[in-house]
Amino acid sequence: MIRRPRLPAPEDFTAPSHSPLVAARLGLWLGVAFGLCFATGLLSHFIQHPAGWFTWPTRPVNLYRVTQGVHVLSGVAAIPLLLAKLWSVYPRLFVRPPLRQPIRLSAHALERISVLVLVCAAFFELVTGLFNAAQSYPWGFFFPTAHYAVAWLVVGALLLHVAVKLPVARAALSTSLRRRSGLEATATGPDDRESAERRAFLRTSAGVAGIAVLATAGVTVPWLRRVSPLAWRSASGPQGIPINRTAAAARITVAPDWRLEIVWPGGRDTLSLAELAALPQRTAELPIACVEGWSASAHWTGVPVVELLRSAGAPTGRPVRITSLEADGLYAASTLPAAHAGDPLTLLALRINGEQLSPDHGYPCRLIAPSRPGVLQTKWVARLEVLR
Amino acid sequence: MRTVRLLLLVLGAAATAYGGWLLLPQLDAVLPWLIGGPVLHDVLVAPLVGLVGLALGRLVTDRLRLAWITAGLMASATLLLIAVPLLWRPPSAPPNPGLPDRDYPLGLAAGLAVIWAAIVIVLIVTTTEKKEP
Ligand code: HEM
Repeated sequence: MIRRPRLPAPEDFTAPSHSPLVAARLGLWLGVAFGLCFATGLLSHFIQHPAGWFTWPTRPVNLYRVTQGVHVLSGVAAIPLLLAKLWSVYPRLFVRPPLRQPIRLSAHALERISVLVLVCAAFFELVTGLFNAAQSYPWGFFFPTAHYAVAWLVVGALLLHVAVKLPVARAALSTSLRRRSGLEATATGPDDRESAERRAFLRTSAGVAGIAVLATAGVTVPWLRRVSPLAWRSASGPQGIPINRTAAAARITVAPDWRLEIVWPGGRDTLSLAELAALPQRTAELPIACVEGWSASAHWTGVPVVELLRSAGAPTGRPVRITSLEADGLYAASTLPAAHAGDPLTLLALRINGEQLSPDHGYPCRLIAPSRPGVLQTKWVARLEVLR
Repeated sequence: MRTVRLLLLVLGAAATAYGGWLLLPQLDAVLPWLIGGPVLHDVLVAPLVGLVGLALGRLVTDRLRLAWITAGLMASATLLLIAVPLLWRPPSAPPNPGLPDRDYPLGLAAGLAVIWAAIVIVLIVTTTEKKEP
């Protein structure tokens, strides 16, 4: 039989995976994955752009490593889940609008628009997040602000989507995938097959999400380093830790008479590298935890910032602004909140894994504080300024 | 349920509007990347998946085998997608000597090999089990 090609209608799709029973469950899982992404993403946003009411603990030292790892890995899990969900609801793309009923038509149009925003935003977050995790930026916009703005679009459109679908979703979620619905119960054979296929589709989607996580989790989970074939980067590099930004890229030259400057309201002090090294040193195992989800731990040796301030006679218990030798660039300076500035594990490190910091690791000294994003662990430190 | 839905509606509209407002300054540069996903998916990816599914359904009649091959294809496609930013680095990406520092083609090949080896093993085991009742 030869048919004239035409736009398909929802009824043309007969595979069991197109059932609302499947769509609602995949939706629920996606909701969890995107919810985790949003919560941990908000945390990371506020750590980097702290609002007055926001505080972030310094312990456990791996806290940011964990939240950001969850952020990136739940995003990875959402990739196959999103594709599975869109496959499940693909027939609904072809639902014909109720053209003759103006009120229903406008409701339909609004719903379509909200779904379009949801799908656009969901794809955008996963694609840009994935490229950013690989530190590749093939676009013309500024990633952090765009990714943050679109996160609100995803969450907003997701809430709208749930508001619209709640009755269908509740009915679907409370219908067991195994039990046959009353109408179909008479036709035992094909219905059993259909429910088996639905379960297989869901099982496969969940399994593939697990595989995707396993394939990448080595970027941050130490015991998976050797298992994950697609982890974006390794955990080793010069002096045991990879380097994001080299001294050459940051155009750093350290003057032979380099001195660390410490400034506070009403006072100032400077120290040479030898004087810094002569102060009591502390060694701590702390992670570098990038916003890209990658993380690795090292043993850092240096002077606790709080001790340094005390020995200089500067006030403690206040936020401290750390400035780099780097002339410009987004991360040439960072502000340690009071909690981090007062933590004895927050070091001005001179050594990494027992060796003097190489220029690329931040020679002459770098900041390393517990539970903070790597971009705020300022390298090539020139100046500490105690704020009010 | 009515109040819950109404609440979700209001919260959702507010969050969407906030996101849109945040996005406004960059909208021009972002728009193609926003629209690109669904267009590519709805026009290209989904029809292709449908065609592959239809073809596979004709070629593989054993249902268990079909299910496992489908799973293998889904897993492979996912790994390929995750590998795209690792295998393809557009020139506009800034040079970054610390990255990439792993052999990604090898990693991808190993991942795909493990998946398909596992599927072949599962299929052999299940078919031999079936033959010995
Ligand atoms: C990022 C997350 C999500 C995306 C991208 C998404 C996407 C979609 C799309 C494109 C549709 C088709 C819309 C239509 O009917 O025209 C749909 C339908 C649906 N979604 Fe979602 N969804 C998501 C999350 C959720 C959540 C959290 C739930 C609730 C548990 C859910 C439940 C449903 C239900 C019940 C349908 C209707 C299926 C049908 O009638 O066949 N979805 N979704």
